[in-house]
Amino acid sequence: MMNKRTPIQSVVLYTLVIALVIFCVFPFLQILSTSLKHPIDWGNPSLWPRVLHLEAYKELLGLMPTKEVEIPETIQRLLNNPALSEEKKQALLAKFSSGGEVFSFGRYMLNTFTISFVTGVFSTLLASLAAYAIARLRFPAQSLMANGVLFVYMVGGVLLMVPLYQMSVTVGLASSASGTILSLFLIYLIQTLPVAMYMLGNYFRTIPFSLEEAAMMDGCSRVEAFWRIIMPLSKPMLFTVFIYCFVIAWNEYLFASVFLKQYQDFHTLPLALQTLFTSKNAIWDRIMAASMLTLLPVIICFMLANRHLSGGLTDGGVKG
Amino acid sequence: MSSVLIKNEARLGLKLVAPAVGIIGLLVIYPILFNVYLSFFDVQLNGTKIFVGFDNYSELLGNPRYYNSIGISVVYLLGTVTGTTVLGLAAAILMNQEFHFRNLARGLILLPYFAPVISVVFGWQFIFDPVNGIYNHVMVDVLHLSDTRENMIGDPDSALFVVILFDIWKHFPIAYLLLLAKLQSVPKDLYEAAAIDGQNAWGRFWHVTLPELKFVIATVVLLRIIWNLNRFEDVFLLAPNVETLPIFTYYQAFSGVVDQGGAAAISVIQLLVLVGLIWLYVRKVLKW
Repeated sequence: MMNKRTPIQSVVLYTLVIALVIFCVFPFLQILSTSLKHPIDWGNPSLWPRVLHLEAYKELLGLMPTKEVEIPETIQRLLNNPALSEEKKQALLAKFSSGGEVFSFGRYMLNTFTISFVTGVFSTLLASLAAYAIARLRFPAQSLMANGVLFVYMVGGVLLMVPLYQMSVTVGLASSASGTILSLFLIYLIQTLPVAMYMLGNYFRTIPFSLEEAAMMDGCSRVEAFWRIIMPLSKPMLFTVFIYCFVIAWNEYLFASVFLKQYQDFHTLPLALQTLFTSKNAIWDRIMAASMLTLLPVIICFMLANRHLSGGLTDGGVKG
Repeated sequence: MSSVLIKNEARLGLKLVAPAVGIIGLLVIYPILFNVYLSFFDVQLNGTKIFVGFDNYSELLGNPRYYNSIGISVVYLLGTVTGTTVLGLAAAILMNQEFHFRNLARGLILLPYFAPVISVVFGWQFIFDPVNGIYNHVMVDVLHLSDTRENMIGDPDSALFVVILFDIWKHFPIAYLLLLAKLQSVPKDLYEAAAIDGQNAWGRFWHVTLPELKFVIATVVLLRIIWNLNRFEDVFLLAPNVETLPIFTYYQAFSGVVDQGGAAAISVIQLLVLVGLIWLYVRKVLKW
């Protein structure tokens, strides 16, 4: 395999690599580009904006007073007509400043961050206890639980949405905002717990047992050995698992749409973006800017966790 | 070890797993059983239930929309499973070569997998937008393959292919990661031996790479089927008019004429298929 490549082989190799990378990255560039383009520039196939247009970001981040002007339906249809020249579109748009109802992006971001963070913390904590027990201790029904966890993880949310919704209605949680949020938190917990247990279980097994043994000989109890030896040693993996759970909750749409529909103040980002997208047309710049801002924390998270993540993902049959 | 120690260890073990197992039991195992129960009732959103026996099932089996969505799901599964596996394998072989900026390339091709669905679907919407999208620009104005700009996502038939392409783009990285990990552990001397036997690159792929990867490829295929059978968000957010089984279930349960009992019945049938697949996975693939 290591023999020298001919120039032709090199060209083919680099061409293929570049093609693959472009295929993967292009939609992101498209999003970034459109978020920075002025509406008149949308039809321009080049990714490079003719004028840098930051209004969408300013508006989403609350840096600009929003003007409450609606573009009538008929004008909207005209604007969407491909036969119309760009100059005419520009003239039309000038009459109606791009406004619309206030989209409280900051609030949705805070909602999403809060529920994702809480989910991540609880899931990692509960999973580390359970994973340690399954990986290290002998107790009845141990292997049943080990296999059951994965089994459970593969049961997709779609199959559980009706019974979970009916359960929360029966218990009375669905009738109040706080109850709804509690239901949603519990649901995110079960969506993340199994994979967190699986990843941590695999990790704990790689820690030599002699470390705990030594601690216990020094007079630590089993529980103390776990807290003082295993947990500190596992910090990087615990962080990775936390990020993974955080991102699952950050991305979740299905249950958020089922439970939070009537509580608009508590919408999470996926739900809010979908509502924004379906409510109006010709708001590509705002939609794309909102997409970029939703994407950013996830990219940062994964850059932080990437080193362990690739390994952790391939070790388990992780969701994908 | 003395029996006291064994007992203590068992007690501690049960204590530690109790919270996690309790929550899973209450919110996964119980709902699965409750779902079976609900499938025999006419269920309203406010919780009222009227027993209807097997009516939900017989209605479902007589509903052409159900068979239609099974058909769409089958096409979706065939397209996405084949696509992600083939592209994942190609990417793994490519990224296993040595070239400049390899680490950068390896990082970049993971981006689609990590990105939230919600933040990339609109980018894809824009690419296929009939007015502004690059797809129509290339097809109509550059290549002249078509005279009219087409609304690829607006039409359910073509939208199915956009959704499949999107899924391949989004999920081939996980197939790639699994395959690359295995590829890196294939002993070099196997390739050298094959080269000495006079095998060219294609022959080495066919006689060394594929047999070595056989097991991982099977794993990837099985996992893709399991995950994509229930895939909801990627399809619904990009093209809600592509009615795969999960989308059909969602519409039954929460929109138009709400039929939660019917949705429960679909879920029960789908769960049976899924259980079969997971059983296969745990039995054949997994050693935890």
